[in-house]
Amino acid sequence: MRMKYMIDRRAFMGLTAAAGMAAGVLAMAPTARAAEDATTDIVLGGSIPLTGVFAFAGEGIHAGIQDYVQIVNDAGGIEGRMLKYVPEDTAYKVDASVAAFNKITSQYHTNLYYGDSTAFSKTINPELERAGTMIMAGASFASELNDPEKYPLQFIPGPDYTEMIGILLKYIAKEKPGAKVAFVHSDTEFGRDPIAKGTEQASALGLDVVETIVTPPGSVDVSTEVLKLRRARPDYTIFHGYVLAPIPEFITQAKQMGMESKFMGTFWSMDNSMVMKMGEAGDGFMGVMPYNYYYDTSGDAPMLAKIREIRPEYQSTAYMQGFLTTMLMTEAIKRTLQDGKELTGANMKAALNSIRDFDTGGIIGVPISIPGNSIPVGRIYKADMAEKKMIPASDWISLGKTGE
Amino acid sequence: MRIGTAKTSYLADEALFDTAVQRRWMVALLAALVLFPLFAGPYWLYLGCLVAINVASATGLNILTGFTGLVSLGQAAFMGVGAYTVAWLEINLGTPFLLNLIIGGCSASLIGMVVGAPSLRVKGLYLAIATIAASVILHFLFANWTAVTGGASGLTMPPATFFGTPLDQPGKLYWVIMPITVLMVLGAANLFRTRVGRAFIAVRDRDISAEVLGIPLLRTKLTSFALSSFYAGVAGGMWAYFFRVITPESFPLVMSIFFLAAIIVGGMGTILGGILGATFMTMVPEALKLIVGGLSPWLPDAVALLSPVRTIVFGALIVGFLIFEPRGLAEAWRRLRRFFHLWPFKT
Amino acid sequence: MDWLFLTEVSLAGIGAGGLYALTGLAFVLIYKATRVVNLAIGEILMVGAYVFFGFSAGLALPFWLAAPGTLLVSGLLGAGIERTLIRPMLGENPISIFMLTIGLGSILVGLVELVWGANPLRLPEFMPTQPLFLGEAYVSPKVATAFAVASLVVTAFLILFRFWRGGVALRATASDQAAAYSMGIDVPKVFSLSWVIACMTAGAAGMLVGAIGGISPTMGVFGLSVLVVVIVGGLDSVLGALIAGLAIGLLEALAGAFLGGEYKTLTTFSLLVLVLMVRPHGLFGTHEIERL
Repeated sequence: MRMKYMIDRRAFMGLTAAAGMAAGVLAMAPTARAAEDATTDIVLGGSIPLTGVFAFAGEGIHAGIQDYVQIVNDAGGIEGRMLKYVPEDTAYKVDASVAAFNKITSQYHTNLYYGDSTAFSKTINPELERAGTMIMAGASFASELNDPEKYPLQFIPGPDYTEMIGILLKYIAKEKPGAKVAFVHSDTEFGRDPIAKGTEQASALGLDVVETIVTPPGSVDVSTEVLKLRRARPDYTIFHGYVLAPIPEFITQAKQMGMESKFMGTFWSMDNSMVMKMGEAGDGFMGVMPYNYYYDTSGDAPMLAKIREIRPEYQSTAYMQGFLTTMLMTEAIKRTLQDGKELTGANMKAALNSIRDFDTGGIIGVPISIPGNSIPVGRIYKADMAEKKMIPASDWISLGKTGE
Repeated sequence: MRIGTAKTSYLADEALFDTAVQRRWMVALLAALVLFPLFAGPYWLYLGCLVAINVASATGLNILTGFTGLVSLGQAAFMGVGAYTVAWLEINLGTPFLLNLIIGGCSASLIGMVVGAPSLRVKGLYLAIATIAASVILHFLFANWTAVTGGASGLTMPPATFFGTPLDQPGKLYWVIMPITVLMVLGAANLFRTRVGRAFIAVRDRDISAEVLGIPLLRTKLTSFALSSFYAGVAGGMWAYFFRVITPESFPLVMSIFFLAAIIVGGMGTILGGILGATFMTMVPEALKLIVGGLSPWLPDAVALLSPVRTIVFGALIVGFLIFEPRGLAEAWRRLRRFFHLWPFKT
Repeated sequence: MDWLFLTEVSLAGIGAGGLYALTGLAFVLIYKATRVVNLAIGEILMVGAYVFFGFSAGLALPFWLAAPGTLLVSGLLGAGIERTLIRPMLGENPISIFMLTIGLGSILVGLVELVWGANPLRLPEFMPTQPLFLGEAYVSPKVATAFAVASLVVTAFLILFRFWRGGVALRATASDQAAAYSMGIDVPKVFSLSWVIACMTAGAAGMLVGAIGGISPTMGVFGLSVLVVVIVGGLDSVLGALIAGLAIGLLEALAGAFLGGEYKTLTTFSLLVLVLMVRPHGLFGTHEIERL
């Protein structure tokens, strides 16, 4: 009994070969236009996770960078030089990101780069230092990257994960001194990042870490974990290392058991659209966010107004991240050029570190400084399901010596 | 047309490359591999190195799965063992990289033998699943044995040095990775001209018959596991030198599936298959990216389709080759060659 | 020792085990009838969850329409897969078919991402949210519902296998294809039937799993736990799948509660290795004797 196929083996091989050939022809094409605009444009390369598991962030980041580049170029560029954004999709895979990096930097004289993951930022760091021609930021807030000694040419456009936890703990210590805190994190590099340091910080602040729960990636049922959490009876539960699941189910079950804990999250679980997907369970969900939300109209925020003008529909917090990253990069380049210095990585990073009390046009609600590799400020927000918005629950909290 | 291949000794008949034409092509191929870095940019060199690493690992898996008939979904985990060993040695002892690679290979091969130990009792699909279990357990070790593996954040290692020169770029590493891969592939090709290699094939074709013929089953299967994991370990070591950051998430189960897919697409049980398959499967995502990039003027959302399309193409290649071309690209290549052997006569 | 805690954890584990058992049943069904180890079962489950999402959230159908619709689509998917991919591979090396299902899984993930995107989503609530207490012990209402549904489906299955003509044909085919064929059973039809029923079961399990944990294209990893279940229980044993399903669920919960979440998969896979070493064909599987 042989089935008759629409395509037989010959056609199948033919198709495969044809596709290969087409790819080959296309592959040869881009090498021709290498380096033709190296002298005029300033190139911002990007390994952007436009697809794959991190796509929700990648899309926002992509749009944010695009818009700010547009704003800069409409205003005549940086000291007369245009900004050119060259993204490449990586699907959140390290080897694809490195491939994209090699491709973009070999085709353009690249000064700025946006990376998509912690692993990529770490992998590419030696190459970044060797080239010495660019500075880089990315979607990762990993605490490890917040070390100017080891990562001299990178920065984090916000607080790192440990600092985020630090901001949350500071808030908790102020609201309820001596409170009992529990951490729930995923068993990934992302999830484990701030836990050890966070526990230390908590005891330094006089808080009591009563439980640390690890969930395996992709786990469906969290009943056991919730039971464990209930026994610990924390006043505050901090989730880290998730985007959405399993937070809603966690909270739902915990509330059903009559737990009174408050639930908190960090940057990547704090986007408005994600929190709203939690439904009922999300009401009162709190978390730390270094940026203002798209719909914030409270302060003097020309940039937020501009964003709302360009894009009338809601933009994610990832968008803000991409937007701010580009803004800071632009500022670093502007300062370097104004000083009459060459655009080397070291010079640009020095220019970036010279930023003091910088007004981000309302992306961050307070003036910021970048003394090292991160911007340790943030604010606690609380979900209001009736309004479908995240409402500020605290003022801007700043860590670091000059803060408070 | 192929003429004049008469042979006068058994030795000539058994030779790895048995005709003058074949030898000339091999020389041409080697020359191309040597000349490649002189013309290629960093992007192509990067891909060249990646392809070489994947070819080495796929050839190793081919020894086990293609030639011995033992399906393994642990290849990525074995690579991980090699990578972690190499990184640990490089960071803590600073021994020469060639030695590290060999030790990495050996440690992977030890682990491989442990994993292969049930292969006498457990066969076929059950064995495949036992290797999944092994990779889950190894993954747990990578993530939790913090003293050695650096835990979740992994190990970051300095570049390999060759007489004081750091090999920190694809262009330099190419001269390490490519020769090692060529050696490994040649070694595998020669293996199947020896008693050990022939024993593998006998076990694949029917293990009970092989045992009747006097082939010690357990020893043969374990040797196959050891050799295959040695290849994986060395490939993993090269991977470590290439990326220089190793985390538990560097070697996921999907990567094992990738290698299995590579030898299916390339052709199981042929050396050429491992090479073609790994090359093809490594290049397909990049090729898709180019195709999508080329389409973007007409299809503005094309980029957003890339990842799903890539996933679909990956699956479709496995399914398509299994149904339409079960012997893989190697068979297609052989058919092409046969066409030219008979060329002026049969058109 | 906190007995209440132990009871609650065990109940939660058995509840989750019900889902493993249900999906394991789908797996065993296919294996028994067609000797195909279907590694795409997790992905078929995922497709089921997404189809349900499409019906209930996308088209805003009520639950009583969306659920049968999902089962229908899952069944059609099963029939399609069997007819176009599995049938041509009949008689091929089992390893090839095993790889084919891995490829199939990849295709399904890609298709779902193409249609619904890669972001995590939540299914509309269709399960009771009233907290449930057995004595003093809390049970998550969703897990309890899922367990109840799973037991119902499993019972229905067992009855069907016993009394329905199709079920008897299925069992006959599983025990001896040639004999079944010569007795007038349309064996190819039974192959299709087994895939249809198994995919419907997986689709149902997908709805339940999705309702508890939310849906995303990566939820197919659920299939990996199911793999442990069926290997431990024995690939061709319905009873084995049911018992192992509950046992693995329980073991996972206990490991999670007393060792920590990172030990969950380690424990289950260690058990898998142990079972393979002691009983290579699973606890309840039939030992096949190889002859030359």
